[in-house]
Amino acid sequence: MKKLAFHTMIIAFCCGIAATAFAQDAEKKEEVCFESRKGASEITKREIKPGWPNVKCSPKTGAALWYGDPYEGTVPMGKMPMLDKIPEGHALVKPRSEKLSILPMCGTACHNGVGPKFSPPTLPKDKKPTPIPTMESLLPDVKDLQHGRGRIWCLDCHHTTKRNMLVDNFGDPVSFDQPQLLCGKCHGDKLRDWRDGIHGKRIGEFASTGKKRWFVCTECHNPHNVQDGARNRGFVQLQPESPPQLPKGMKDANYEKVHPIAH
Amino acid sequence: MTPKETPPAGTAMEQSPGCPVPPASADPAKAVLKTSRRGFLKSSGLLSLSSLMGTAALMTQSDEAKAAVEWAEHFQKNYRLMTPEEKAEARARLERRYSAEYGKAVTVDTTDAQPGVLMGYALNIRKCIGCRRCVKACVAENNQTRGERPGERIEWIQVLRMERGEFSKDKMDHGYPEGLGIQVGGNAYTPAGQVLEGQYHYEPEAVPEKDATYMPIACMQCEKPPCVKVCPVRTTYREPDGPVVIDYNWCIGCRMCMGACPYWARRINVANPVLPKEDMNPVTHYLGNRPRMRGVVEKCHWCLQRSRHGRYPACVEVCPVGARKFGNLLDPESEVSLILARKNVFRLKAELNTFPKFFYFYD
Ligand code: HEC
Ligand code: HEC
Ligand code: HEC
Repeated sequence: MKKLAFHTMIIAFCCGIAATAFAQDAEKKEEVCFESRKGASEITKREIKPGWPNVKCSPKTGAALWYGDPYEGTVPMGKMPMLDKIPEGHALVKPRSEKLSILPMCGTACHNGVGPKFSPPTLPKDKKPTPIPTMESLLPDVKDLQHGRGRIWCLDCHHTTKRNMLVDNFGDPVSFDQPQLLCGKCHGDKLRDWRDGIHGKRIGEFASTGKKRWFVCTECHNPHNVQDGARNRGFVQLQPESPPQLPKGMKDANYEKVHPIAH
Repeated sequence: MTPKETPPAGTAMEQSPGCPVPPASADPAKAVLKTSRRGFLKSSGLLSLSSLMGTAALMTQSDEAKAAVEWAEHFQKNYRLMTPEEKAEARARLERRYSAEYGKAVTVDTTDAQPGVLMGYALNIRKCIGCRRCVKACVAENNQTRGERPGERIEWIQVLRMERGEFSKDKMDHGYPEGLGIQVGGNAYTPAGQVLEGQYHYEPEAVPEKDATYMPIACMQCEKPPCVKVCPVRTTYREPDGPVVIDYNWCIGCRMCMGACPYWARRINVANPVLPKEDMNPVTHYLGNRPRMRGVVEKCHWCLQRSRHGRYPACVEVCPVGARKFGNLLDPESEVSLILARKNVFRLKAELNTFPKFFYFYD
């Protein structure tokens, strides 16, 4: 019975995903470009005023190459320690929760804390890794969680009872729109650099109190895979933009390797 | 064609009395009566300007308004010597011309350096993945030529690909000179760190490549810029808020600055610039991204049209890894100041005493 419910839910998810894919096909003329992490944050090109687009996309790679409006789709960042010098409304982020397709179900369908199976008494007794096939089929990344090299697991980041929330060091819930409060509990040095604008990125006005859109950690890092296998790097590879014109007379880029400089 | 030649019919010829003969002076700006020129532009419009100069014959074949504007441009002063009124005049003239040429409302900003601002730049070379988005963003913002033929494509940022050195057994004895063993970080057979022209042209499926690191280079906005020292017409100079700029109208295309720059930062328009109307960025600055003409040198100016209004340069905003940082060096809280205070920072070719305001760092 319960199993059946599970399966229908999964099917429902699949249908949902397929439907969005079809919708994208239909509006093929739309130009959509991605920012840092492919699949994590896409922008649809549109005209803000005549001859002035919100974004320019690369015809070659589909990357966002230019911002006509750096604040599009942003909301205030919310309370962050140490950022109180920044005037109200000057620290903005793009909410992550809008981009997450599974998230809307998390707190309602399964982990709602009321069903007989999922009510607190049967919640995980510890945070240690266990196989979770349901989640694996929904989110293939967690089949082989590449974060922490076996030393961290779901509930180090996700709230135990409020599954539509992340969790901080006190066990208090943290919004998906403020992943910095989660990541910062283990990566304090990075959080500090991020807060100072050194790690990560901000766009808009460069003055230290200026109005900026801040890119949050998960816009660049996939929290379920920060190793990328053997590459062992926290940022996935991208297709590069086209190279510059070759100097006049040079037939191909390898010329100097084939005809080495005499020493 | 002498200036005295009778102009063709149809050209307005109300030569104002007392108008000087077209100048033989080396400083044409001095030879033209300011008042009469400005009066012209304001009252009788552009057409009559040509008659003032007495060279209407020059214009018979071209679009008259455009030619007249160009003619006025020839007689304008070096931007630094212009009075605020002359700047406003030059600005209005250019806005009219560019708007007509590109079919949209083009603005030419003349905002000066803002007090209390000294711009600085920092680039994290450990993070750079060589994706070249900065290069393309720069072109989208700064109206560079983007044709297909040789010399028609200008990019201000170059991304150098540098091979990581390797220690491998089979190369143990292939050093240079031969037989002296492997050399740290590469040897004559694996040119680690060496820059070959071809190394700008890498084109793998995905970056970063396993065996490479990347180093983007553009204008360093030196405190003591060699390019400024050599410019025979003094059309390139350092602005009080940092960037080294060019008044394109006074550039004679001699390329002295290109030879003097130790960072390969300057480009010359050898061909007529190709800038499609729909791609043209209509928000421009006089010393920044306004469209250039053939025969003039151009380079990075930290997006003056943006940065003078407090906005990050275009390359900073598109860097997917956040390797590019920009800010006010006079503000101790700015990200660049904090990087200088906290990170491992170096300047490129510091031994040349050019004192770049562009810093490389790693964490
Ligand atoms: C390092 C912290 C961390 C760990 C460990 C972690 N997650 Fe996540 N998870 C996140 C964050 C942060 C997000 C939001 C991602 C985003 O904004 O793109 C997320 C998102 C999700 C989502 C929603 C994805 C979507 O697209 O809607 C699911 C489901 C999920 N995690 C399940 C799991 C499971 C199951 C595990 C354990 C195997 C796990 N997570 C381990 C941090 C973590
Ligand atoms: C519960 C602690 C914890 C949390 C929360 C956490 N991480 Fe990690 N993270 C780790 C550990 C442990 C490692 C692995 C260090 C190692 O073994 O090399 C790691 C590694 C990383 C790495 C790769 C570093 C490397 O050199 O391999 C990145 C990138 C990273 N985390 C980003 C994030 C982001 C982004 C978040 C927030 C979504 C986050 N982490 C949240 C504990 C955490
Ligand atoms: C603009 C994109 C971006 C944002 C936003 C961002 N990072 Fe990173 N981060 C990177 C890149 C690029 C690297 C280098 C990864 C590599 O190539 O190995 C990195 C590396 C890391 C590492 C690995 C340590 C290291 O130095 O390699 C950690 C941990 C990390 N980031 C945590 C965070 C946390 C926590 C946040 C949010 C507070 C965050 N990052 C936000 C791009 C970003």
